[in-house]
Amino acid sequence: MRIETIRAAGDKPAHIRHDDLISAKGVSVVMARQLILRNIDLSVPKGSFVSLIGPSGCGKSTLLKVLAGLVQPTQGSVSIAGLAPIEAARKRMIGLVFQDANLLPWKNAVDNASLLLGIADKSLSRSDLRARGQEMLELVGLGDSAHKRPNELSGGMRQRVAIARALALDPAVLLMDEPFGALDAITRDSMGQSLLEIWQRTGKTIVLVTHSIDEAIHLSRHVHVLGIKPGRITESLDIALPYPRDLSVTEDPEFVRLVVQLRTMLRSSHQPGGAS
Amino acid sequence: MSDQPITDLSEPRLASSWSAATGSWLPAVILLLVTIMAWEAAVRIFAISAFIIPAPSEIAKSLVAQWGTLMQATLVTAGEILFGFLVSVVVGIAIALLIVRFDWLGRALYPLVVLFQNVPKVALAPIFILWFGYGLAPKIGLILVIAFFPVTLSMLAGMQSVDRSLLSLMNSVGASQTQILFRIRVPHSLPNLMAGTKIAATLSVIGAIVGEFAGASDGLGYVIQFASTQLDTALVFAALLLVSVLGIAFYYAAEILERIVVPWAPKFSQS
Repeated sequence: MRIETIRAAGDKPAHIRHDDLISAKGVSVVMARQLILRNIDLSVPKGSFVSLIGPSGCGKSTLLKVLAGLVQPTQGSVSIAGLAPIEAARKRMIGLVFQDANLLPWKNAVDNASLLLGIADKSLSRSDLRARGQEMLELVGLGDSAHKRPNELSGGMRQRVAIARALALDPAVLLMDEPFGALDAITRDSMGQSLLEIWQRTGKTIVLVTHSIDEAIHLSRHVHVLGIKPGRITESLDIALPYPRDLSVTEDPEFVRLVVQLRTMLRSSHQPGGAS
Repeated sequence: MSDQPITDLSEPRLASSWSAATGSWLPAVILLLVTIMAWEAAVRIFAISAFIIPAPSEIAKSLVAQWGTLMQATLVTAGEILFGFLVSVVVGIAIALLIVRFDWLGRALYPLVVLFQNVPKVALAPIFILWFGYGLAPKIGLILVIAFFPVTLSMLAGMQSVDRSLLSLMNSVGASQTQILFRIRVPHSLPNLMAGTKIAATLSVIGAIVGEFAGASDGLGYVIQFASTQLDTALVFAALLLVSVLGIAFYYAAEILERIVVPWAPKFSQS
């Protein structure tokens, strides 16, 4: 529904393609006299699943923060459905998920899931919030853990609550910064699979920052590789594997070919780039 | 020294909870009993004068003989401690909230609070007597200046240690500073606050006794001072025992309060 209203807004700047939900143009970020990001052009089509991958220190997390409106670009501009990121966030168009679930330990899962929604929309009653929280917990597969506190949940379950909390806002885009980075390999796989299912069921646009090659290829439609010193997009890769994908996709010869290709791209992204 | 295999250490102990509890208390109780008996024996064998070190049996006798007076004094001191403790906690929390909520006030207040911490507050007792007389007020004042600081400091630490990503999440949906304060920072600070409160409970006992030393006509501190001028050392020890019992009672009351207020907090003791 939200996506329809965005389309109805219509009068976007000319440089945005109509199917792009997010568009970054010439974004550079300087922090503490250091060039963190240089001249980033990024477009994220509506409803797509895009991964940003790169070595540590390439600024992929900073780029995500720029998209979220948490960091102001020194140069360039970002628009989310024609809005500046901060405005978009205020209109509940951005859902954020970080590596740490950051749940409130004194609240149970359902109250954690509805926390941000309650702040964003003061008109909702407590029971409205609970109902919405419960609905989102069911979406992430935690419907029967609503009354558990974070210390009763596993790391993977906590991260599911964090995803539910972001989805409760009914955002147009989900921005995720290494959301599964602290989880073990098996939990990580099943979380990735769940995320794919949530994506297909809700039609959200997802931007995922990851350092896992397998995860990027397993989940996304487009992968952008970032290089270091300064952070910049060095290469982009379309993942043509058909959806719905499950873990068996990792045995597909095409998957294996893509892993090799992406690994090669990542290796060259470790070379510092000169001025251009 | 021992050539026992180290793996023995990791073997689970299958003791019942009752024997585990007595197991952890028993050595302390035994040591206490042994100490009391050695004390009694030493006083009798070396014929130590009762006004230097009274035997435990003398202390017990004094406790029984003066029970009415001592209970009355205990009640007075307990009242001072409780009242002073509550005022310290309220004031300590208020200062912490003001420092966090109003940036300029924090910058003005925080250095002064820390500076004030370096004043030897026990030395303020005579001044408080001068200002407030011999009643309840100077004791409450003294407890306040001694005990508010750990409350303020622990709550500040808790409120300022909120994860930055969580603040980012809150900011992204347009949360106000007041919302962040009361929905995130304050509840997040409660485990720290309760730790500070336990310290304040202990300091409140000290504050009350020092206040009574400086000038009082009632309370356990007064009894201690009066009895020592009378060379009634057994009564001094009896009062001292009751002060210790009060201290322990307040500490555990604070600990029970902690379990009620912050059931989600990690437990450090008795793991």
